[in-house]
Amino acid sequence: MPAAVIRYEASHLAMGTEFALVAYGDDPQYLTAVGNEVFEEIDRLEAQLSKFNPKSEVSVINRTAASGNIYVEPKLFELLLNAVNHSESTGGSFDVTAGPLMKAWGFFRDKGRVPANSEIAQVLRRVGYRHVRLNRADRTIHFDVEGLEIDLGAIGKGYAVDRAVDVLRRYGITRALVSSGTSSLYALGTPPGARGWSISLRNPYDSERAANVIYLRNCSLSTSGNYEKFFKVGAKIYAHILNPTTGKPVENMLAAIILAPCARDADALSTAFYVMGVERSREYLTTHRDLMALFYLPVGRDQRFRRVMLRSAGSNDIGAFFSRTTDRRRSATRAGSSKIRRRASHSRMSGNRATAC
Amino acid sequence: MKQKVSDDVTRRNFLKTAASAAAVAALPGVTAAAENSGLSDAVRYGFIGTGTQGCTLLRFLTTIPAGRCVATCDIYPPNLKKGVDTIGSKPDTYEDYRQLLGRKEIDAVLIATPLYLHARMTIDALEAGKHVFIEKSMFFKEEEAEQIRKAAAAHPKQVLQVGLHRRSSVLYQVAMEMVRKGALGKVLLVQSRVTTHSSWRRPVADAKYERLINWRMYREYSGGLMAEMGSHFIDIANWLFDSEPVSVIGTGGLDYWKDGREVHDNVHSIFDYNGGGRHHFHCMLFNGHHSNGVMIMGDQGTLDVTDDRGIYFREPVAKVSSGPAKENWWAGATVSKAASQKGVLIFPEKGARDSGFVDRELRYAKQWLASMGIYQPEEPFDPYWGELVNFFASIREGKPVVAPLEVGVADAMAVINANRAIDEVQKPSRSKKTT
Repeated sequence: MPAAVIRYEASHLAMGTEFALVAYGDDPQYLTAVGNEVFEEIDRLEAQLSKFNPKSEVSVINRTAASGNIYVEPKLFELLLNAVNHSESTGGSFDVTAGPLMKAWGFFRDKGRVPANSEIAQVLRRVGYRHVRLNRADRTIHFDVEGLEIDLGAIGKGYAVDRAVDVLRRYGITRALVSSGTSSLYALGTPPGARGWSISLRNPYDSERAANVIYLRNCSLSTSGNYEKFFKVGAKIYAHILNPTTGKPVENMLAAIILAPCARDADALSTAFYVMGVERSREYLTTHRDLMALFYLPVGRDQRFRRVMLRSAGSNDIGAFFSRTTDRRRSATRAGSSKIRRRASHSRMSGNRATAC
Repeated sequence: MKQKVSDDVTRRNFLKTAASAAAVAALPGVTAAAENSGLSDAVRYGFIGTGTQGCTLLRFLTTIPAGRCVATCDIYPPNLKKGVDTIGSKPDTYEDYRQLLGRKEIDAVLIATPLYLHARMTIDALEAGKHVFIEKSMFFKEEEAEQIRKAAAAHPKQVLQVGLHRRSSVLYQVAMEMVRKGALGKVLLVQSRVTTHSSWRRPVADAKYERLINWRMYREYSGGLMAEMGSHFIDIANWLFDSEPVSVIGTGGLDYWKDGREVHDNVHSIFDYNGGGRHHFHCMLFNGHHSNGVMIMGDQGTLDVTDDRGIYFREPVAKVSSGPAKENWWAGATVSKAASQKGVLIFPEKGARDSGFVDRELRYAKQWLASMGIYQPEEPFDPYWGELVNFFASIREGKPVVAPLEVGVADAMAVINANRAIDEVQKPSRSKKTT
């Protein structure tokens, strides 16, 4: 007789957002214990990676790496190497040192402000991944400019999702979904009897509606969008995603969504692609594998948008399938999973080429 | 009841469920207040004890036509005058409450006198054939429980209501609904407190009136903070756990206001209930940082009622279920702090702000509460007013008494036991010096 299917769902506040976990198994007690392990791992990562916590390893590095070589914990070192690689391969569109810019624009507080060009120029002097010197031989970090700051805000949550999935795999879990807020998630295996985990991508103008529905299996998804954090000066809207090379908010982009084998890369690349825009991203994908990107771009002024999808080599095998049903509505629910009403489908996605609707 | 019509989804949802939720909000007799004053069959009542609390009640009574004040009584002339001025119905005045009780045409009395007089006056009033509203705590000494029970049993047709006015608060009724409907999961802890920086002293023009005016300070008349403040929250815990405490431990002292008073200014009690529930009550008079309120804590959520605001916090607990579920997840951009951390303001609703993530989450949470029939946007009337309306409705229409005899007995007994625990069960805990 096959064992009963048990579903475990839990959420946990960390890294300024709510992590959610769903896992399937056959033993409720075991699943609960594994869930605790997952969240403890996320808490450990937050204690190490948070720039808001003065005693975190990242904070210590930020305070001291300009004055000497600082030893770095191996996994964090690996993450920093990966971050710098992403910076190099995206021409600095993703940059873990962009924190001071965010501060200058007031994005760490509730109120935004528009800094003067001279101020931006000042701040840009202490921004730039090139100032981060990572020495593999002795696993140390050094900043070659004063005032540099590591800020893992655009990669840390995806990284935490990956580490959570590592924990799940270590304990033999084969069907699970981990998400950080709704920005990065990883779908492990499939839910019982389904071909993948159903993910509704929110409409850029309406959080209650889906713009696309996608099924994932052993695949991660990350979104960078202008929905949640922005401010207005007059009629102009400034989104919280800044171009680290110009020091200014990115315009004419609603969202960049990345599908990738791991959430760390999806997280970093969603920010990078948001900054790079469609054409530079297309270029990027000609030299990289196993990635899919979906853009929502504004059209005119009356809340219309168009979709552009890009694929790299190998993207057919990363475990992502688009549904033909794209227009879903979100019903009243608590955070995390949602009941969804189906509506008539009228839009379709096709692969392999840029599609505009 | 008036409800503002708005486009807010929550409000609409609330209205849809309002019919079922009306049981929560509507107190018997509320609509009667809309009728003209001077009902021909109004309850004729006398008011005994027109000091500070008495006049608080009298102010509300001026707007309740179901009762007409025909007499007032106080032994302190300035208070007697204050009472007459407050009610404005030109009542006859008495210094001796027995004379008031002797008035045949008086149907009911309301009593707001010092605690040590409660039992005597309640019993005398019942024996004089009056319906009785008695301020909390109901009585002062343990043996008075039986005496009041006996008097009440001998006069079963007379209403006896205790002034535990939070029973008439829609906010607390909503809290109880949330508990009963499982919004907090299994409730195992109630933490309540009254904190204030106040001498708790009333000004006395002539020193000979000190003990009369500041009766709360003296053990001959008063159960101190536990009786005057704690009784409300003890009753809330009794109401919530649907029983009375099986044991209590406590500590306390006169730590700050060493001005000749005899009662403590810093008291703590922990009451245990059958089934594992506990209630920690704390009251102090030298720091008001924590204000007044109660936190009801279950394994799935917390309801924090502070002053007149109720905030619900979801406890992020795992849900384990059998069989696969339909998995539908949403992805968007990075979100800020989640609602469970911020808390959901269940009551009252003050100016809806922007439509950021947290507000949307609050809306979902409110819709969820509304779907259970327990979301209530505001307190429609003052609980004092509610309890008084209910008193007259019980007399005139036979409506159930909102805080009847046994509620008052359980409450007063717990006060007495808590004070006893503080006074008698304190043992030295200092470690002995070893040489």
